[in-house]
Amino acid sequence: MSAGLHYVVIGAGSAGHGAVTTLRARDPAARITLVTMSRLPFYNRFDLPRYFRGTTDWRDLLAVRPQLYDELAITLRRNSRVDEIDGRGRTLTFSHKEVVAYDKLLVCTGGGGHLPEVLVEYKSLMHGFATFEDATRVARALPPGGRVILLGGDMIGLDLARTLIDTGYRVTLVAGEFTFWPHRVDAAKRAELLAALTRSGIEVMDGRVPVAIEAAAKPARRVIFEDDTAIAGDVVLPFFGSMPLVDFMLGAGADMERGILVDPKLKSSNDGIWAAGDVCQIWSDELKEYRFLHGWRNVRLMGELAARNMTGAQEEFDVTADFHIGVDTAGHLQSDFWEQ
Amino acid sequence: MNERPARMSDVPQTVRGEKSSEVLYSDDPRDIGWVQRNIPCQTACPASTNIPAYIWAISDGDYGRAYEINREANVLPGVLGRICSRPCESKCRHGWPGNGEPVSICSLKRSAADLKHAGHRITENLYTPSGKRVAIIGAGPAGVAAAHDLSMLGHDVTIFERETEPGGMLRYGIPEFRLPRDILKIELHNALRLGVELKAGVSIGNGPGEIPLATLRAEYDAVLLATGCAAAIDLPLDDDEFGEKIKRVGNAEYGFDFLLAMHRGEPKKVGKRVAVVGAGFTALDCARVARRLGGEEVTIHIRTGEEYIPVTKEEIHECKREDIRFLGLRTPVDLITDEKGDLKAVRFVQNRLGGWRDNGRRKAVPIPGSEFEIECDTLLIAIGQRTVHDFLDTPMKLDRWDNAAVDPSGLTSLEGVFAAGDYVAGASTVIEAIGHARKVAAGIDRWLMGRTRRVRAVKTTPIEGPQRERAFDFIARQHVPVTDIAHRCSRGNEEVETGYDGPLAGKESKRCYLCNLAYQIDPDNCIFCRACIDVAPKNCIKMVDGVEIQSDGSYGSLKETSEWNRVGAIWIDNNECIRCGACFEVCPTRCISIVRKEFVTLDV
Repeated sequence: MSAGLHYVVIGAGSAGHGAVTTLRARDPAARITLVTMSRLPFYNRFDLPRYFRGTTDWRDLLAVRPQLYDELAITLRRNSRVDEIDGRGRTLTFSHKEVVAYDKLLVCTGGGGHLPEVLVEYKSLMHGFATFEDATRVARALPPGGRVILLGGDMIGLDLARTLIDTGYRVTLVAGEFTFWPHRVDAAKRAELLAALTRSGIEVMDGRVPVAIEAAAKPARRVIFEDDTAIAGDVVLPFFGSMPLVDFMLGAGADMERGILVDPKLKSSNDGIWAAGDVCQIWSDELKEYRFLHGWRNVRLMGELAARNMTGAQEEFDVTADFHIGVDTAGHLQSDFWEQ
Repeated sequence: MNERPARMSDVPQTVRGEKSSEVLYSDDPRDIGWVQRNIPCQTACPASTNIPAYIWAISDGDYGRAYEINREANVLPGVLGRICSRPCESKCRHGWPGNGEPVSICSLKRSAADLKHAGHRITENLYTPSGKRVAIIGAGPAGVAAAHDLSMLGHDVTIFERETEPGGMLRYGIPEFRLPRDILKIELHNALRLGVELKAGVSIGNGPGEIPLATLRAEYDAVLLATGCAAAIDLPLDDDEFGEKIKRVGNAEYGFDFLLAMHRGEPKKVGKRVAVVGAGFTALDCARVARRLGGEEVTIHIRTGEEYIPVTKEEIHECKREDIRFLGLRTPVDLITDEKGDLKAVRFVQNRLGGWRDNGRRKAVPIPGSEFEIECDTLLIAIGQRTVHDFLDTPMKLDRWDNAAVDPSGLTSLEGVFAAGDYVAGASTVIEAIGHARKVAAGIDRWLMGRTRRVRAVKTTPIEGPQRERAFDFIARQHVPVTDIAHRCSRGNEEVETGYDGPLAGKESKRCYLCNLAYQIDPDNCIFCRACIDVAPKNCIKMVDGVEIQSDGSYGSLKETSEWNRVGAIWIDNNECIRCGACFEVCPTRCISIVRKEFVTLDV
């Protein structure tokens, strides 16, 4: 395909791996670099709840064999943060000031946990759940049978909630508008889904607005609500959907709104930059709007499609697809979001 | 290296009372160029505030001196410390890549005002009375700043203000939760107490009961027009190019008129769902006021994206904390009404981002066929303000943007009539209006007196040693405390930002790199030992074989070399230097010197 083009893919999640394997298949001569902030090789984030079922060794969570990178001649740069992209000069600068040139760049950094501004100042009193290290910290902070307070919800949080209930913890969900993110549900559907969560053992508090979090002796946290009432728990986990991780893209010369704006071929307004996964907003000619498309499957497919287009194809991503959520016969929530 | 040739100047090289061998004054373009290039915050400030000097005074705990340094450039430090658009912070060297976040310059300015002693003595350099009379139309920031300077220069100044209180948009545009009125009142009083006569509630114009401009021109030696931008820009819609439709729609209003009426004392109310169209401070103010008036779902609709709008990140953050949402990439194209003519929804068209506009902002390009509707109960439109000229009684030259056309001194096409602030520049910021008004005041003084009485010069003062510690570079930006979010919106006008206390201000002030300090190596004493290069925390000390000479004669970029046989000097790159002093401390021959360079105004 090319005489030694250098493809750089930032973000080694589902989209990034979908991309690098496709790139290698379509361009055997290319130089491919995969950059990730994670210290660990690729594991699926949706597998993290398994930590509470006893999978506490990170090697058991890996999604690909570590040898794969050697076999495919892909340079994996772990624990590497990109600070800046020069879209005109086609270089990227790491936080340790190393500058790397690329020919084509794919950004699939995904999203970081969105935290409503009202709770930002309490970030240090909450636990994240985005990485293996986060899962370890949550598990350490939780006494057996301890109480977990989930703020918001979202589909990642609800998946964790199900595991925590199964493994003997007490889960309180402070429901809000993000509870079924990224699904948009009407009031009737919402009530049906919340009822299903209650039946599954989750304590659901609806219509309460958290405004502050305090450290306490035992249990370790108190969540204060707008009406000055409070609940206590061992761990507070915020799940309010995700926000694209794009700070490093501000000077790249690629258009952005909340995420990187891309056409249906996943190409940005910069000639050498594509984006895939939760980080991009895709233009839909049919819907006449920029859309985020989430979900494990979508993200992987986007990475693969972007890679094909970077190597000469002209394929368009189906932006019209929508997610579905419902309650199955066993009374559990089922969502396309979790579909792998 | 280039020797600096001697140069003739009106500015005395030394001033009586200073040690002539140490403190130097210069209006040499090379010195002025050095200050402009090396103190980016001060250069970015439209009023040219001596920022490093006042921050250093704060770190000394001398808030009064910091306040006075501010007041030399801007007569309303306590006001600007709350509502300034902060062009200085976006240029602060501490915010450059790899250096962290900019210094919280604006909040430090506020701390100087808030924390100075009660009964603090204000310094005014008063000139003898000139016998000249100046009329100023408009008591907004431009009018007040010009009035202060002109009265200080000895002229008799009268301000004509159509509203009942002075302050202009500070009083009638900015909500009290951002700018408490007692602060505004005190600082306006301080600015006008030099003998300025304020005639409030008096309109200049051609209507009944109004004073014609011609009368002022006959009775005063000079007239300054500082009427600002006194009307909202009309919102064009599809099939309604001139924005007529909004006048017929109930529950839809221009944000400018909404805030003006509210601050005049009219009771205002909003519905539960409030849509605000606009991207500036007025739009954000409208949204935050709407939340306090009971708006439950308040959204701000912008043509581009959050990254591209001309407001501070802090304002956006506080809006979001108050549960206000920003929705981007949309332009309103129509208003949907019910059978009574009240607003039901706004129809928008989806945009994509276009190129860059001349003013550095992004273009938005509507996408045909992408219209969609947002239901709302109240619509506030804040897409900008424009100048109004209906008070003129004689044709006056306007520029292509329909603002007053002026020469560099601020003189309009009418003899003896000057203009300043937004009336010349169009809708800008308070600090821009003040900065421009002060330049025009100097122009009026020159015109009235027939000569230049004050000039800008660079004062160079030797400094004994480094003023900073390396540890200061690791202090994180201190965020300004704000009121409790839980009850904020129900408390109406309570000020949101509570400001730094002494310890916080002291900590934040230490972060300033003090870019007004120039570190220089004396090539005659340098032994090329490289000790300074080895200890430098950044790539700030360089081996060079030459320096580019700029058009004003000052030094530009360095011609670096890594070959020892080509090295002409070891050079401190003041652009990279963070004034940590490590090089000064380690130098075995004491060949590194430090001087402070700052702008001063001298009588000539």
